[in-house]
Amino acid sequence: MPPLEHILVVNAVLFAIGAMGVLTRRNAVLILLSVELMLNAVSLNMVAFAVYGHVDFGNITGIVFAFFIIVIAAAEVALALGIVVRTFRNRATANVDEVNLLKW
Amino acid sequence: MEDGVTATQVVFWILAVVMLISAIGVVTVGNIVYAALFFIASLAGVAGIYLILTVEFIALVQLLIYGSAVVILILFALMLTRARERPQALFGRSRPLGIAAALGLLAALIGGIVATTWTTPESSSAIQPVGLQAIGDAIFTIWIVPFIIVGVLLSIALDGAIMLASPDEDDN
Repeated sequence: MPPLEHILVVNAVLFAIGAMGVLTRRNAVLILLSVELMLNAVSLNMVAFAVYGHVDFGNITGIVFAFFIIVIAAAEVALALGIVVRTFRNRATANVDEVNLLKW
Repeated sequence: MEDGVTATQVVFWILAVVMLISAIGVVTVGNIVYAALFFIASLAGVAGIYLILTVEFIALVQLLIYGSAVVILILFALMLTRARERPQALFGRSRPLGIAAALGLLAALIGGIVATTWTTPESSSAIQPVGLQAIGDAIFTIWIVPFIIVGVLLSIALDGAIMLASPDEDDN
């Protein structure tokens, strides 16, 4: 097994890559992909803590939380893509910086 | 902590490098379909790391839900919302600022990880694999109420997505 720190560093890098995608992309679907990368990093972190804390605490709460995160992410993707498709139909764009009706 | 580098660690680092390179591809590549394909590779890498952490259940869920359902949804949305007439810039104007902010976040996270002393088990043999049965027991006893709520939430969200994406009758 790799040491806990290595897993945490890999997850931090994955989270930062996802954050970079959220901040730099302008296509809504690609922003959503980057959010999924960040969610993956977090749930991987939870599983790592659960597995390495298993001896001390004797519970698997982190694993159950990772499961819940994946399920909620599926719901979130479905809703967000529905909104993106709707926006594309109404405004003929999927770029978040062109959807500026509420901006002044 | 361990005597040298074990085979598991080598596999872990191979998977991690593949996963991170694919993730960088997702956020930097100029073609949105390639970005989605890089995303699949990245998800597979994460599933492999779950396997290394001996959590087969989450690896299966990852491949079944993310690797198939979510990826198919995203590919459909990419195809449906592709602007055909003009090639589009994929990056916003604030790209350098975004890259700088992400690097700052990375530095803060790694600084926090390095500065903390983690209490880990003495040897890797002390880490027992978590069986499927233990996870099932936990979900259907301790976490049964959140589990039901998540199920209701999922069905509401999917209904809402269909409502949002379906055309109105009085629209046209």
